[in-house]
Amino acid sequence: MTTAALVHVVVSGLATGSIYALMAISLVIIFNATRTLNFAQGEMLMVSTFVGFTVYARAKVPLVVVMLVAVVAAALLGWVIERAIIRHAIASTPFDVLIITLGLSLVLRSAAGLTWTHDEFPFPSFFGDRPITLGPVRLVPVSLGIIGASLGLMWGLWALFTHTRLGRAMRAVAQNQRAARLMGISVERVYSASWVLASVVGALAGVLIAPVIFLSSKMGLVAINGFIAAVLGGFGSMPGAVVGGMLLGVIENLAPLYLPSSIKHSVPFLVLIAILLIRPGGVLGRPARRKV
Amino acid sequence: MRYPAVAIGAAGLVAWPWAAPPYFVFLASLVVVNAIVAIGLNLLSGYTNQLSFGHAGFLAVGAYTAAIVATRWPGVPVVVALLAAALGAALVGLLLGVPCLRLEGLYLAMATLAFGFVVVEAIVNLEWLTRGNDGLRVPTARLGPWALATDTARYYLAVLVGAAMVWAALNLVRTRTGRALLAIRESEIAAQASGVHLAKYKTLAFVISALYTGVAGGLFAFVVGFLSPDAFDVFLSVDFVAMIIVGGLGSVPGSVAGAAVLTVLNDSLAGFQNYRPLLFGALLIASMLFMPGGIASAVRRLKGG
Repeated sequence: MTTAALVHVVVSGLATGSIYALMAISLVIIFNATRTLNFAQGEMLMVSTFVGFTVYARAKVPLVVVMLVAVVAAALLGWVIERAIIRHAIASTPFDVLIITLGLSLVLRSAAGLTWTHDEFPFPSFFGDRPITLGPVRLVPVSLGIIGASLGLMWGLWALFTHTRLGRAMRAVAQNQRAARLMGISVERVYSASWVLASVVGALAGVLIAPVIFLSSKMGLVAINGFIAAVLGGFGSMPGAVVGGMLLGVIENLAPLYLPSSIKHSVPFLVLIAILLIRPGGVLGRPARRKV
Repeated sequence: MRYPAVAIGAAGLVAWPWAAPPYFVFLASLVVVNAIVAIGLNLLSGYTNQLSFGHAGFLAVGAYTAAIVATRWPGVPVVVALLAAALGAALVGLLLGVPCLRLEGLYLAMATLAFGFVVVEAIVNLEWLTRGNDGLRVPTARLGPWALATDTARYYLAVLVGAAMVWAALNLVRTRTGRALLAIRESEIAAQASGVHLAKYKTLAFVISALYTGVAGGLFAFVVGFLSPDAFDVFLSVDFVAMIIVGGLGSVPGSVAGAAVLTVLNDSLAGFQNYRPLLFGALLIASMLFMPGGIASAVRRLKGG
């Protein structure tokens, strides 16, 4: 295979990888606050993207407005879910909250199917479809756009986590809830903020990926690859989520070139099983230590 | 005091095919199949606190093993086919359980989720063995000279096997092994300090759970008569989790109750497929928020426990 073709495959791998990375980041944000996996992350993404799409279909507004609508819808959804359901389970074990988010994912997907049907809808893209030619290499603008936008968003998140009071409070809660509370941080507010933030990041990922994989009630399944990306990078770590996402995207795109196509769909899962067996702490992780 | 209740229950189970229309006999067989899976899953999740989202995978392994054994050797007694299903699933459980020992909580949940997907993909692709997406017709179960060709006959088979599995589970949880599993749920470190060999008992829980699900898979194959990979998707695994949550974690009767409630509910919603996940999801959330111990603990509270 030529270098140009290889570059093409790697770049589109990085593009899907960026989306996985954003999904992984949303999962990690919620994990760091509530110590649980949010099984409904993908469905929250799907619902917010659908809300944006509905406005687009009705009013033909510019895409920037669509994105803003999706973000506002996501923020609202995240806040309502946290306040109305998750907050009531604040004393439960992570296991219980996991089951609740599992129930939420079923409810959201089913509700979306009832509202918008289970069909697939083409979603407009920010980026044109004329390929960009760099010497022998031809790149699709969508891929570059997704990578660029995701990197921008990641930079914004990094700034949020390092330079704002809220971001520092969230990191403190992630490290040690009790100590954070003793320092005067409102852990409840961090919970709400985490759900809102994770939901917003998900909505942006949804608007970016919807033109590529189509908008449908099933698109939430992309979150499973977000879980895998997060594990690949070491669950709980933000840089790990980014690295894991990119790595998974590239592996997933390269694997069909070297492996029989029949196992293509299993690649992310085989990657997951392999990483859990070889390095459960992720490629960037250190061996976990447990205190009694 | 318990024997009359058991006797009445047994009489009810025996009389059911005479009282109910044929379709409900078939449905009762499905309840038994799901109850066996729920018990198996509960032994793993409720007793040992290891969550699995891959039990549809074990069910598929059991179902296909039984179907293939019965196809290759026509006339093989159904007991042998079920044993093969149990052993096949247990073996897969061992192969998955040993590496998964190092995982806990979320990681285990995700690894088993991945296992479920991989099993379905394997069934689709191993066409020479499983006939892939075309599906596999299961021969009629045979027991010596009899062919179990009616819903009623298969119902009795399911009930007999189910009763044996319930009896075995009830005894298992009272033994040293059962107490070791419970100790692991309460605190792995404390259990280890009290001399419970963690690796051994966690693997054992995995293997027993897979074995139960394999037996259920074998029964499923004969009761339904036709297998195709899409019947074993991840949503089935989620249904199994819902059964033990609604029924009650760490309770054998609870598992049976949860399986019965969700199987019947699932069937009554057959005409409203779009609303089914909505209701199941709401049920999961509601049980977690308002009835954390499931049906089992609600009954216990009603009895004034």
